[in-house]
Amino acid sequence: MATDLLKTSGLKTDEMIINMGPQHPATHGVLRLLLTLDGEFVKHCEPVIGHLHRAQEWQGQNRTWFQYQALIDRVDYLSGMFTSWAMARAAEKLDGMNIPLRAEYMRVMVSEMNRITSHLLWLGTYLIDLGAMFGFPFYPFREREKLLDLFEAIAGQRMMFNYIRIGGVMREAPAGWFAKLKQFTQEFPDRIDEYEAIVTKNPIFLKRTKGVGILKKELAMEYGITGPCLRGSGVNHDLRKFRPYSVYDQLTFAVPVSAGDGDTWDRYMCRIKEMRQSNEIIKQCMEKIPGGTSEELRERRKECNSCGKEDCQHCGGDLKLLAKKQNAGLRIKAGEAFDAVESPRGILGCYIISDGSDKAYRFKWRNPSFTNLSILPELLVGHPIADIMAIFGSIDVILPDVDR
Amino acid sequence: MHREAVIEVSKFARLTFVWVGIIFGAVWAACWLVGIALPTWIDQTFQPPAVALAWSNTLRVIVPLVAVMVFIPINAMFMVLAERRALALFTVRKGPNRVGPDGLLQTAADAVKLLFKEDITPRGADALMFTLAPIVFFAPSIIGVIPLLAAATNNHGLFAVANLPTGIFYVLAVSSIPVVGIVMGGWASNDKYSLVGGLRSAAQAISYEIPLVLAVITICLMAGTLDVVKIANQQAAVPIGDQAVPAGLLGWNIFGGGALVQAVSALQAGAPDAAFRLVAAVLLALCTVLLFLIYITGACAEVNRIPFDLPEAESELVSGYNTEYSGIKFAIFFLAEFTNLFVVSTIAVVLFLGGGHGPFPGFDEAAAAQIERVLHELSGPIGWLFNSLIDGPTLVAALWVIIKAYSLVIFAILVRATLPRFRIDQLMDFGWKRLIPLSLILLIAVTFLRELV
Repeated sequence: MATDLLKTSGLKTDEMIINMGPQHPATHGVLRLLLTLDGEFVKHCEPVIGHLHRAQEWQGQNRTWFQYQALIDRVDYLSGMFTSWAMARAAEKLDGMNIPLRAEYMRVMVSEMNRITSHLLWLGTYLIDLGAMFGFPFYPFREREKLLDLFEAIAGQRMMFNYIRIGGVMREAPAGWFAKLKQFTQEFPDRIDEYEAIVTKNPIFLKRTKGVGILKKELAMEYGITGPCLRGSGVNHDLRKFRPYSVYDQLTFAVPVSAGDGDTWDRYMCRIKEMRQSNEIIKQCMEKIPGGTSEELRERRKECNSCGKEDCQHCGGDLKLLAKKQNAGLRIKAGEAFDAVESPRGILGCYIISDGSDKAYRFKWRNPSFTNLSILPELLVGHPIADIMAIFGSIDVILPDVDR
Repeated sequence: MHREAVIEVSKFARLTFVWVGIIFGAVWAACWLVGIALPTWIDQTFQPPAVALAWSNTLRVIVPLVAVMVFIPINAMFMVLAERRALALFTVRKGPNRVGPDGLLQTAADAVKLLFKEDITPRGADALMFTLAPIVFFAPSIIGVIPLLAAATNNHGLFAVANLPTGIFYVLAVSSIPVVGIVMGGWASNDKYSLVGGLRSAAQAISYEIPLVLAVITICLMAGTLDVVKIANQQAAVPIGDQAVPAGLLGWNIFGGGALVQAVSALQAGAPDAAFRLVAAVLLALCTVLLFLIYITGACAEVNRIPFDLPEAESELVSGYNTEYSGIKFAIFFLAEFTNLFVVSTIAVVLFLGGGHGPFPGFDEAAAAQIERVLHELSGPIGWLFNSLIDGPTLVAALWVIIKAYSLVIFAILVRATLPRFRIDQLMDFGWKRLIPLSLILLIAVTFLRELV
């Protein structure tokens, strides 16, 4: 490095301590990095977290199950479906519920859609981090808008869905929803090709990402990194395959694992490939979902006049959406349970102790962003300032998810 | 989707027409007032004639300065608006469209807002340097434009005084001053981000000025002069034998400055070495196209545009050297940045893209004659109003320069809408290891090829 050269020639140089954040345009919310710089190179890095702490776990212990379901989307605001799902799965495990098959398929569909929106937002902001300031980032947002519109139609909200509930999902999709989603899944691969055409082969992009922020396989496993960061380092680990939950064992999809050495470009490619796989999963779900599209189901329910009986072949059994009634008196059996889902950022787990009342006795979240952020000092040391954002962006941290 | 895009593009075109009209009108009105109306009135009113003449001549001499002072702020306002609207077009957004019809007055409103904002000097900052920095940054862009005026107006009588025999040398010398302003601002802000931004800017400007100047020198070598008016006018016609043939596009320096035309005519005349000369001409044209690309790259780095906007790299350095600036000082930084972009575009137009001459041979003269005819049909005071300042060739030349310069500006915006930013070490590598050797090779190659054609 340049500074070594200066030192050998007898010049005195000084280190500079610089605060990156919490008010900084590129720290994705409010992360503070306490950097010790030697010239432009990072010698030491200390992430200071906690600026967004909202006591999510404490809130969970002081609100009824029914109330808290509406709050947990805020834990990781870019993938609310997954936080809801993790808590729902833990509570269902405790309660011993059987989730109707249609609800399971709906859950897989909406959460894979959410994975796509999350990765799309990551793609846009990551390019902003790399300095493609006003240009390309809005193209991923164009596709993301379409999915958000679909979320709005089905859940009533664009980001804080409160759609996946303990016992199933909240609503049936409105008329035309499946057709729109189908159209989206048909054109989305072309859109990914577009992004790839402008980004993946861009020489400046390659220069900025290839060989930058190399995360070794062993180090990643030591730190407990999960999600695309781990798979980008070449570890084949995905809960959806490794320990299939919900209906993932009935779907065919590949887990993209990088063959490279785990630099930022590998993590980028992992996410791009994951979006394609998610698209395939949604397509399969739409074919396999019991009851077919919402219009078909509505036609069938006319025959039994929406009787709602458990054994009705038109609206009971697999075709139900909720296994448990949703009201303020929602109670979960006493005991403790942990369950996890594979969120866009990694393994998102929820640990619950219930005393059988309408509130949880203890909540604990296992957040992928928090674990993934811990690798940051290891990756940053020795890199110039410009690479900080290239590396930090590539591990895709959501600060509310870190601080809860 | 497609229809919407068409509507947005047409809105953008309309906005451009209106603003170019405003720019032309304002500059014309100011020049007419200072260069024609006031001196005439002084000459007719005051006695003795010698004193009146001294005053009116002084006024006539400062016309280029007045033109620039009127042109720069309005032009920068238009460019900021055009940049925001064009970026919106490129990125499937709408852009500012609320202030005035179609957002026409957005930047005017922004300018007013910036003027009324509190002017903050941060604690611990060097107040004098902090205030001087925007001035040092902005002043060169004013004085740098002036020699280009004569080239842009086809050496119009009122602007010819500003032409220098060493015009391009002067422009280049002046255009390297702004970096001092950036370093001053970065240092005086008492902010680590600003300091890093300022130092980066110095390193970058020094590295990229070399290929830029080498490209310009090569063109001057081809033209055999440093006079911008002569360089621009040489590109209008190609000397073949002892007569000048209008060549349009092929006469421009970007395509070898008429070498292709000369070689083809030699081939037609059946000269013995014609084939050899044709090969040399094609090579020369390739070299000049490369030179143009080098110039554009160097110019982008010189005015801190993406992909070379490291001094203000937003995701790294907050806003670089102007982090601490607000109000009028920030406005001046902003104004100067856009003016610098326009100046480097105009230099490219004059040096490479034929200056005030169009790409179609014979078109300019016809258009000028048409304009002259329309102007001469006007009579009375209105006729005098227009005829006294504008003549056909001037208007055509100015329009061509402005069209070409804005095309280059739009190109810079397109680049900004597409590319990510370089890292500082990659930037240095690219400058020193690629551009400088390439431009040196091209300098030598052009020297030889020019003699061979």
